[in-house]
Amino acid sequence: MTESICRALRDGALEGEHAPALTIKDSIASPFGFDVFVHVLFKLASNILAGKYQSRGLVLIAFHHSPSFYVDLLKRKGVDFASSHKWIQILDCYTDPLGWKDGLGECGSGPKLLLEASYKTCLCKNVKDVEKLFSTVIELGKGLVGQSKDRFCVAIDSLSEMLRYASVSSVAGFLSKLRSQDQVSSIFWLLRSDLHEVRVTSAFEYMSSIVASLNPFNQCTNGHKGSWKSLSLLEQNSTRGKIFARFKRRNGRVRVACEEFHVEQSGINLASFSSEDGKSNQSLLPKLQFNLRLSEKERVDRAKVVLPFEHQGNGRPIEIYDGRRPHEDIKCEAAPISTGKSQTNEESSKGEIIYFRDSDDEMPDSDEDPDDDLDI
Amino acid sequence: MAATKSRTSSFSRNFSALSSQTPGLKHGPNGTTFISSGIPDLDRILGGGFSLGSLVMVMEDSEAPHHMLLLRNFMSQGLVHSQSLLYASPSKDPRGFLGTLPSPASSSKDDKSYNSDPDQEKGLRIAWQYKKYFGENQQNFESRKDGKHEFCNDFDLRKPLERQYLSGKNIECVSFQDSPNLVALRDRCGTFLSQFLRSDETTSSAGRVAIQSLCAPQCEHSNMEWDILSFVRSLKGMVRSSNAVTMMTFPPSILSPSTSKRLQHMADTLLSVKAIPDEDKELANLLTGYQDMVGLLSVHKVARINTQVPVILDATTYSIKLQKRRFLILECLNQAPIDGSSGISYSTSGSCSGSSKPGSLDF
Repeated sequence: MTESICRALRDGALEGEHAPALTIKDSIASPFGFDVFVHVLFKLASNILAGKYQSRGLVLIAFHHSPSFYVDLLKRKGVDFASSHKWIQILDCYTDPLGWKDGLGECGSGPKLLLEASYKTCLCKNVKDVEKLFSTVIELGKGLVGQSKDRFCVAIDSLSEMLRYASVSSVAGFLSKLRSQDQVSSIFWLLRSDLHEVRVTSAFEYMSSIVASLNPFNQCTNGHKGSWKSLSLLEQNSTRGKIFARFKRRNGRVRVACEEFHVEQSGINLASFSSEDGKSNQSLLPKLQFNLRLSEKERVDRAKVVLPFEHQGNGRPIEIYDGRRPHEDIKCEAAPISTGKSQTNEESSKGEIIYFRDSDDEMPDSDEDPDDDLDI
Repeated sequence: MAATKSRTSSFSRNFSALSSQTPGLKHGPNGTTFISSGIPDLDRILGGGFSLGSLVMVMEDSEAPHHMLLLRNFMSQGLVHSQSLLYASPSKDPRGFLGTLPSPASSSKDDKSYNSDPDQEKGLRIAWQYKKYFGENQQNFESRKDGKHEFCNDFDLRKPLERQYLSGKNIECVSFQDSPNLVALRDRCGTFLSQFLRSDETTSSAGRVAIQSLCAPQCEHSNMEWDILSFVRSLKGMVRSSNAVTMMTFPPSILSPSTSKRLQHMADTLLSVKAIPDEDKELANLLTGYQDMVGLLSVHKVARINTQVPVILDATTYSIKLQKRRFLILECLNQAPIDGSSGISYSTSGSCSGSSKPGSLDF
């Protein structure tokens, strides 16, 4: 399922569509969001290096860790950084987000930032100015892919940190502008849901096309701590968990998928499992009734039924179908909706009714055919 | 049909011939006038359409864009009937959205065969000799009228609206993403609605206001909740005294629960759309027609102007389907037959219906 998330990000946006956006949401109960983020980052980087997909570059906005940390991480996973200046740009919002080092003057400045040749990084000194941040990101991206039709991805390592400096509406505006930018192929970000109000989290879920939320492996509902069982469950939770992903599809439906993950030293291992889908979808629906209406085909068929004793009053000699004999040839007209139909009955004289009188006492009148008032 | 029966009293107003002059307007009960929502099924469910002077609110689902379908049909219907339109949205270029409006379906007779059935069903098929004494009911359905003169068109979502409708001077577009508050939007709505002030003369033209995603998170006013409420309140007052209908969509999940509830109470007609999960076996077993459904529409409130009598609907939740992937239809939710696996499914068990030879009927 994470494969399908990465595939959706890799495929990017169609012409005229907003770029797909992924929210990775975690909480204190299952705090492995960063591992999932790194996993997705690694996959996307491999896709970019492969060169077969829509996006040709990646702009990483680093709030929570320094750019060198990311470079080391990706190198350890085996990403080739030889030609990194062609495909990755890291916007460093970690080192000095509010520009304090400038204020300290020369004596306070730490070791100068060495611009290593292996990767390019750009320092951002004022993360509060979201407009400037947007233009910097676009500039960096264009620098990677050039003026061609190629696109680039954007990754924000911690949206929660960004929300510390700027308001929700400005960050939301930033993301929506990125999504509608022609050259952006896909965006993804990490959000720590318990650091914000529910409204804020739902605002970002509203703006994203895929939401991956991390849940603990075992939901510990029992209150008593300290018992052996709950300790072992907690211990399981400390390395494992479940990811629930909701994909907003183009046809307006939502695809729900679930996967287990296991965090190890080297990274994160994912294994799919079939979720039993605890919550029933009955909550979406009201009390249902059976269908008492007819579909088109059923209506047509019903119109073709020949009822017994039905007059076909359309000028032709009236033929009664009295339901006793099967129809041999029935020719129905092609227009089923009109009520007048012409049918031909073959009145074969096969069946006969043989009647034995019960007794001779019976009034002769009882023999009379009660259907005498039929005029034929 | 889940049609609501409107109570007609023995008093009736003297109506001038409204329908022939203005195709987009229709008389409703209690002295109201209806305009169409653009979706024939929705008009039927609401008892005629949207009343002039009402505020229609659609609660969005953050996971599905179905509110856009409702908005598009609403806007297209207004343009086809040459009604003025004001469209406000949080995007930078609202005019671009006008290019996605659907066009009325070209009249083709076979598409409409199901429409003629309500009249058809009224005629009983009489298996009795006296039927010959009834006149032969020749039901000549008129050939489809020209699309312009119908109250409600069926819109083909795959065909864009012709340019002639979009180039008129009666369309205004507003973007409210960058404005710091809602004052500018309110002023624009005010000037637009002042063109349609209600007077004692017969209504000759109507206006439509479409506001998309009022409190979208990228707008600055999205956390100014009291400002949103006072804007909607003043908009409702302006709409009530004019010959216009406002359709507004908003995402309730972005707002606090109390603000969302307050907004819902302000609506005259309240609808909500909901997404359905994809490839859900449980739902597929539970509902007929799950494959064609794209979402669910719920009707929470229907506008009742000039009357105290509420509307009680047979069903409040409908499935949104795209018929032939083009036409928006709303259907009642029906439960699938429980014994679907036993070989005789509901659709084929025609019992006595037979297009070919039926079995011998023995009495």
